[in-house]
Amino acid sequence: MSQSRREALRRQQQAQARAKRTQRIVIVGAIVLAVAVVAVFATIFLSQLNKGGNPVAGSQATPVNATSDSTGIIVNPGTYADGAPKVEIFLDYQCPVCKQFESMHGATLDEMASAGQIQLIYRTMTFLDNNLRNDSSLKAGIGAACADNAGQYSAYHNAVFAGQPSTEGTGYTTQQLRVDFPATAGITGDALSGFQNCYDTKATQSFVEGTNEKASEAGVNSTPTIQVNGTKLDNNTVFSASTDAFKQLLLTTKGNG
Amino acid sequence: MPRPLADRRWVGWATFAARQILGIVLVVAGALKLPWPEASVQAVRAYQLLPFDLTRPIGYALPVLEVIVGLLLMLGLFTRLAAWIGAAVMVAFIVGISWVWAHGISIDCGCFGGGGASENGIAQYPWEIARDVGLLACGVWGGLFPRSPLALDTWLFGAAESIDTDVTEDEDPEES
Repeated sequence: MSQSRREALRRQQQAQARAKRTQRIVIVGAIVLAVAVVAVFATIFLSQLNKGGNPVAGSQATPVNATSDSTGIIVNPGTYADGAPKVEIFLDYQCPVCKQFESMHGATLDEMASAGQIQLIYRTMTFLDNNLRNDSSLKAGIGAACADNAGQYSAYHNAVFAGQPSTEGTGYTTQQLRVDFPATAGITGDALSGFQNCYDTKATQSFVEGTNEKASEAGVNSTPTIQVNGTKLDNNTVFSASTDAFKQLLLTTKGNG
Repeated sequence: MPRPLADRRWVGWATFAARQILGIVLVVAGALKLPWPEASVQAVRAYQLLPFDLTRPIGYALPVLEVIVGLLLMLGLFTRLAAWIGAAVMVAFIVGISWVWAHGISIDCGCFGGGGASENGIAQYPWEIARDVGLLACGVWGGLFPRSPLALDTWLFGAAESIDTDVTEDEDPEES
């Protein structure tokens, strides 16, 4: 075999080896990409299962006193004076600090709301479900929104916080949310069966998921957050304020437009 | 003539160590977040850095990306690409933590699950950044010197070199 032929043969072998190598890279690369795509879809699918499924189609309803943009529920519709400050409370029913806030300033809020001094809006969040790996925040939120349709939003809301388990993460039982809390809130008779039907069909789930999403979108990622006319209050101030100081804070905080 | 740095034995073993460290950390971090993508979305949102609409896709994709890149590094498959991606991810984390630090936002970094607002988050930032700089160094090293022992790259793609040692234009056994 001549020198040049041997050289040519060797070059050919090299080219073939390189082509094979490229082919292997493409195949292995394609496999890795396919695994990645499958993994992403599996994650989405599994997270749907963890969430306890999607809301029942066709049964979804918006609570009667929802804000027009469905960001929350108005506690005192119609009773607040024109120009009364808009007080928004971002809360999660599983958040212990929210319960603290509630026992500290809840009565004051209710009083000012029924006197029409403020427009009180509760914006329910459910992100603690993710941290605590349960679905109690969402379920309590669904219950509260259903209680709004039964005319007892504020009373149910108070009952949930009063019944909050002492250990964060224990969650609420179906018995509590479906029977005990509505009883405490004074929902009886036809209103009770309406409430339980709403709760059982998760009729307000989409609404509550929406209030959580809209609160996140508004940049709120911890609860409780208190906002007056769009201005966030400092929680240190809120928690150290006396009842009178808290009232003043709500009435004098300047809005941000 | 002195051998190039990349051909030295210790460099290969250093790459091996670098890709194991970065790879294991990425796999663990990703695997802890993988079953709870909504929590991951929340952790991303807590940074208040990205546009809201991007937070969900990123929250879902990031744990998957971490696990896959981590596995590639551990196996030594597509080492150079995986190492550079790992390094890029670390740069993103360092930027994110610096951002919240600069803005006085106190959060749990959500690096290994968790996330969201946190009382003493700021106190953790210096060491979190130091850790990520160390991991970034592992990634950059692996990107610069991708050849290492016990790597699938050599086993799967290294054969082209063994036919002829003077194929000089193709000096890298990794993917291009």
